[in-house]
Amino acid sequence: MARLIRTEKEVEGRYTEQWIVVDEDVLEQWPAGPLETVGRPVPRADGGQRARGEARYTADIKLPGMLHAAILRSPHAKARVRRIDTGRARRAPGVRAVLGPETGPLTDEPPYEGAPVAAVAAETSEQARTAVSLIEVEWERLEPLLDPEEAVRRNELIDEPNREERGEVERGLAESDAVVEAEYRTQTVLHNSMETHQAICEWDGDDRLTVYISTQFIWGVREEVAKRFGLPEDHVRVVCRFMGGGFGSKNGPGDYTYVAAELARATGRPVKCALTRREENLDSGNRNSTIQRLRVGARSDGTLTFLDGEFVNATGWDGWLASTGGPMRLLYACENVRTVEYGAKLNTPPMAAFRAPGFVEGTFGLECLLDELAAKLEIDPLELRRRNHSTHDAVDERPFSSKQLLECYRRAEPHWERRDEVRARSDATWKRGVGLASQVWYGGGGPPSYAWVRIGGDGRAAVITGMQDIGTGSATAMAQIAAEELGLPVDRIEVALGDSARGPYATISAGSSTIPSMGPAVRAAAADAARQLIEIAAQRYDREERVLSLKNGQIVSSDGGSWPLEEITGLLESGQILGKGSRGPNPTGMRVLTFGVQVAEVAVDVETGEVVVEKIVAIHDVGRVINPLGASSQVEGGIIQGLGHTLSEERLLDPSTGGNLTQTLDAYKIPTIADVPEIVTDLVDVPDEHLTNLGSKGLGEPPIIPTAAAIANAIRDATGADVRSLPITREEMLRALREASRQPAREEVGA
Amino acid sequence: MDILRPDSLEAARAALKNGSVALAGGTELVPLLRDRIVEADTIVEIRHAVPRGIQGTRIGAGTTLGELEVDPQIPDALREACRLAASPQLRAMGTIGGNLLQATRCWYWRLKYPCWLHGGGRCFAHEGLHREHAVFANAPCASAHPSDVAAALLALGATVRTDRRELPIAELYRLPTGDDRRMTGLEPGELILELEVPMPAASTYLKAMDRKRFAFALVGVAAARSPEGTRLALAGMAPIPWLLEDESALDEATPLPGNAYKLEIARALIRRALVAVAP
Repeated sequence: MARLIRTEKEVEGRYTEQWIVVDEDVLEQWPAGPLETVGRPVPRADGGQRARGEARYTADIKLPGMLHAAILRSPHAKARVRRIDTGRARRAPGVRAVLGPETGPLTDEPPYEGAPVAAVAAETSEQARTAVSLIEVEWERLEPLLDPEEAVRRNELIDEPNREERGEVERGLAESDAVVEAEYRTQTVLHNSMETHQAICEWDGDDRLTVYISTQFIWGVREEVAKRFGLPEDHVRVVCRFMGGGFGSKNGPGDYTYVAAELARATGRPVKCALTRREENLDSGNRNSTIQRLRVGARSDGTLTFLDGEFVNATGWDGWLASTGGPMRLLYACENVRTVEYGAKLNTPPMAAFRAPGFVEGTFGLECLLDELAAKLEIDPLELRRRNHSTHDAVDERPFSSKQLLECYRRAEPHWERRDEVRARSDATWKRGVGLASQVWYGGGGPPSYAWVRIGGDGRAAVITGMQDIGTGSATAMAQIAAEELGLPVDRIEVALGDSARGPYATISAGSSTIPSMGPAVRAAAADAARQLIEIAAQRYDREERVLSLKNGQIVSSDGGSWPLEEITGLLESGQILGKGSRGPNPTGMRVLTFGVQVAEVAVDVETGEVVVEKIVAIHDVGRVINPLGASSQVEGGIIQGLGHTLSEERLLDPSTGGNLTQTLDAYKIPTIADVPEIVTDLVDVPDEHLTNLGSKGLGEPPIIPTAAAIANAIRDATGADVRSLPITREEMLRALREASRQPAREEVGA
Repeated sequence: MDILRPDSLEAARAALKNGSVALAGGTELVPLLRDRIVEADTIVEIRHAVPRGIQGTRIGAGTTLGELEVDPQIPDALREACRLAASPQLRAMGTIGGNLLQATRCWYWRLKYPCWLHGGGRCFAHEGLHREHAVFANAPCASAHPSDVAAALLALGATVRTDRRELPIAELYRLPTGDDRRMTGLEPGELILELEVPMPAASTYLKAMDRKRFAFALVGVAAARSPEGTRLALAGMAPIPWLLEDESALDEATPLPGNAYKLEIARALIRRALVAVAP
C-alpha cells in the first residue's frame, strides 16, 4: 500500500521537510563487506567511450540548423547603460537575432564585471562574437563596492547574518587554561569545469522546448525553465547524457540557457549558448573568499571550553550564505559554541556552490586553530581531536545515524607516527613535516528519487532513471547495485539516464547525494523485478519461492537445481519484466553525516617558499562503498582540487576596478599532474545501519574538505610558521617564515 | 585574413610587409591574434623559410623547444630553460626564435587594459596587482619578460643572426621609452634566422614558479661560466631579459609593494646557480 510520509531532506547542508510516498516493503540491508559485485572494483562503464572521445557531451552536440549565441558582458564592476546601439551587430554577416538589455536575464544595470547585457545569435560562433564586438554601448561607470569588511560595516548583506550559539562562550572562556585567537583567510577560487557552462535550446512549436545542457540536475533545469516560460513541466525535456564537470556550479539553468531559449524563440532555430573559458571564469560562480576570526579555549587536558567564530563570506552580488561556521558547530564535542556568519553583498560575480561550500573554507580555519591550540597545550594534535570527539550532534541533540571517525583516527595512526622519520629527512633548505585535519560534512541524500528496472527476454537488464552522471561514475555504481540484487554479472546491466523524457524523477547530483539518494531506489526497483522473477520461476519449475534465488545469471534452487535466467525470461519473447523503486525516508530524529581525516606530508624550501606536498593519506567514513575503484578516483579528484585551493589557485580582482585578472588558465593556476602527490585512499566501508537499504553516504565532497588544513598543519610542523591565508603561494610562505623567525619561541601553556 | 606559406627566405621577406605578421610555432601569436592584441591581414608562415636544427653551436631559429630539450650537445642552461618552459604540447610547437619575441604575460596588458604599454597613460600594475611583475626597470611599465630561453641565452652570451645583421642577444632587447614602446630593436619584417650559442665551461637555469610545471617564471636565474667569468641573467624580473652583474646588483632593484618576495627567491636561486656552475 502506498504510504504518505513526511521526512527531512538535506542538500549542501540546507535542510527542508517534504512529503514522500513509500510503496515498497523495506529491504533489509545487505551484509557488510564486499558482495558479488557491490563493494568490488569495477571499471566505469563509459570509461572507454570517454577516453576515446566518443562520449557526446553537450559541447559536441550539433543540431541541424543550429545557431550560436554570444553574450555581451559588462566590462565594469558597476555601471549603467546610457545608450546602446545594436544596429551594426544586426547587420553583421551571419547574424539572425540580437537581444538587448530589455530582455531578461540581460540587464542595463550590470552589478558586476561579466554580467550579461546583450546577446547575438549567428550562423557561427565567430560571427556571433564579431557581432557582439560591434554593439556600441555608452557606459555610465559607477563606484563598485568590493571590500567585504566594508560591506558588512555598511550592512550590505546578501541575507540576515546567521547567528548560532549553544552554551555560553563567556563561561567557557572563564574555564579556559589556554586560549588561541587567530584570523584565517581563504581566497576566491573558480570551478573551471573542463566543459564550460552551455546549453542548446530547441523549440517544437511555441509550447514545447528541448534543452540539451551540461548540468548537475536535469529535473531542476526542467522545473525552472518551465516556470520561466510558463510551460507545463512535461513540455520541457532536458537532456544531459555526458557531463564535463560541474562541482556545484551547474545546479541550475543559468543565464546562458535563458539566452539560448530566447534566441531560439526569436529565430525559430535551435541555439547553442556556450561560455568561453574567460566567460566561465568571469560569471559561472565561484567559491567565495572568507575572513574568519576565530577563538578557541581549552583546559590544560585539552578539553575544549569554547569555540567562537566570526565569518565574513564575500558572497558577491548574488548567491547564498554558505556554512563557513558549520565545521565549528559540528565537528567537536564542545558545550559553548558561538558562530556569526555574514554574507557580504558586493559588485563581484555571484558565488555558487563549490564542492562542500563553506565547509572547505571553515575547516581550514578550524583545523589550523586546533593545531595552534595543540602546540600551545603541548598535546599531540591527533590526541587533542580524540579527546574532543563528539558522540552526538550537539547542534540539536540528535544521535548520529553512524560515525566511524574514531576508526578513521585509528587508521591514521601509522601515518601520523611517521612524523619523526619525515622530519628527520629535513636539511638546511628543505624542511619536512606531517599534518592532519578532520572532516565533517553532510552527504546522506534523501527522497524523492525513482528508478525502473526492465528485464528483457535475453536475460539482460536495464536501469532507467532520470538521474545524471556528472563524471563521478555513479552510472557504474547503479549498474553494480542492480547487478547485485538481480544476481547478474554487471556487464549484463545497461543504465539509461540523462533524459527527463525517458525516466522518472531523480536527485540533484550535488551535496554528495547521487549514490545515497539514487542507489536505494535502484536497489528497490531491482528487488521488485527480482521478486517477480522468483515468483514466475516458482510456478515454472514447481518450486517454493523461498528456495529460489538469483545468482550469476541463474535461478538457483536450494535443492541443487539451477536454470539460466534467459530460459524463463525467454518464454516471454518480446515481453518484459518491469520493476520500480523509490528512495525511502531518512532515519527519523538522526543526524546523517560523513567523517574523515587526512594526513599530509610536505616539504618546504625555506629559501624560496616552495611547498611540495609529497603524500596525502585520506581516510573517510562514508558508509558502504559501492565501487572502491570509483571511490578512490573521487578521493583523488577531491584532493587534487583541494591542492589547487591550498597552494596555487586564486581569482584575482583588480582592487580599484573589480576586474577579474585571472580569466585564463595561464593566470589562474590549477595543479598539473606534476604537482600531484602520492595519494593513499582508505575508506572505512561500514554500512550506516540506519540509512536506507544500502547504508551508503556520498563521497563527492568529503575528500576536498580537510586537505588545505592538513597541508597547512604539515607546513607548521615542518617550519614552525603559521600559514593562515590561502593560497600558500611562495610570497605567503616566505612571509609566514619571516614572521615565525621574528617571534620568540611559543608561549608557555596557560592563559 | 590570408595565410601565405613561402618556401624560401626570399619569398618570406617579400611577403612580410605592412599588415602582415610572421608565424612560426604559433603558440604565442595565435592567442594574440585571437584576442586582437596583434592585428594583421596576412599571416606569413615562416616554417620553410628559416633554418631549423642544431649544428654545433648554431641553432636554427625554427628549432622547437622540444627538440632542444632532448639534445645532449647544447649547454645545460638552455636545455633546462627549454625543459622548464610551458608544456610538452607547447614545446612541440614553439620555436626558439619565437620564444625570444614573446610578449609579456602582464594580465592588464593581456586583457587589453588601456595601459602604458598599449599606448595609454599609466601602468595599471603599479597601483593594482603585480605579484608576477618586474622588480627592475619597472617604471613606466612593470611588465615582466616571460622568456626562460632568453635569460639562458643572455647568460650564455649568444649571438643572434637575422636576415639583416648579427647582434649580441643583449642588443636584441631594449627598454621601452615614451616614444617607442617596443621591447626589441628588430626592424619591421626582420626575421631571426639563427643563434650562435658558445659552449660554456658550465651553465644552469633555475626557475621558481607557482606550480611544478607549465607556468611562467616568477623568477628565472641563468648562470654560465666561461673563461671570461660567470654571467648571470634573470627571467620574469624586468620588462626584458635582465643581465645581472652579480648577486649584489639585486640591491638596486625597485620592487613594488607586492613583489619584493621575488628578490628573496632570486637571492637563493643565484646562490644555488653559482654553486652549480662553480669549477
